Amino acid sequence: MPLWTLRGLRRGVVTTRYPARPDPSARLLPSPPAFRPDVLTPGLADRLVAVCPSRALARDADVLVFDVGACTACGRCRAEAPQAVGDSGEFELAATARAHLIKRIPLAGRPA
Amino acid sequence: MTGQGATELTVQENAEELRRTVTRLFGRSLHIRTLDTGSCAACEQEIRLLAAPHYDLHRLGFFFTPAPRHADLLMVTGPMVRAFENAARKTYDAIPDPKIVVATGACALGGVYQPDAFTRGGAGGTLPVDVWIPGCPPSPLALLQGLLVAVGRLAGKVKDLDFSLNGTPR
Repeated sequence: MPLWTLRGLRRGVVTTRYPARPDPSARLLPSPPAFRPDVLTPGLADRLVAVCPSRALARDADVLVFDVGACTACGRCRAEAPQAVGDSGEFELAATARAHLIKRIPLAGRPA
Repeated sequence: MTGQGATELTVQENAEELRRTVTRLFGRSLHIRTLDTGSCAACEQEIRLLAAPHYDLHRLGFFFTPAPRHADLLMVTGPMVRAFENAARKTYDAIPDPKIVVATGACALGGVYQPDAFTRGGAGGTLPVDVWIPGCPPSPLALLQGLLVAVGRLAGKVKDLDFSLNGTPR
């Protein structure tokens, strides 16, 4: 009997329980960024748009338009402004319409 | 106004009916044909991993097939290189109705490449895409969720996410 069979018997089943239960390895996956609207100024938003290599970010007046579908989770926006950009931690991103993936994030100083 | 509201409800009811039909037809057994339209093969690696013991997609009733005629779902990767467009259409036509098209990865979603002389810059312009799976590459878990959304066994949740943080970034 091969060694890995014995190891498998001892440690149990390796197959993930997803989708019935969350998978513990999911938190280690790269995920698209999430933004802090209270810190995100128009100037900072322009810098983020400039560093994005896959054109996932665009600025529309006082709104940052984030296309989750175009994002490659490279982390450049997070490195550019760690105070304003964090990890969303989301991996369940499948959408039934392309428009569901386009998010509009209001910028700081936007008239309420 | 009332008439418009009634129409909207009918559309919603139709969508619900369609979702039920898709789940009835494909919920327990679905055959997948993958189509590479110029991808870097990272998506293919992740798709291949779905069959590995850790993810084991066969337990959920999904199978890969090399023949479009045996497939129910077309999984498209890559930015749709123009040289491949004709083959992509032929593959789509060869799949028997009803069929589902899943665009996989940032390229197929139109993220990485802009339309130019060589690529269409995404699968959406050539094929009628039903489900979009973001990621570069999407992890096998993300692909699994996308497939379950495609057959109506899970509801997509990205629609309700706003990608804004309220405290300090994680």
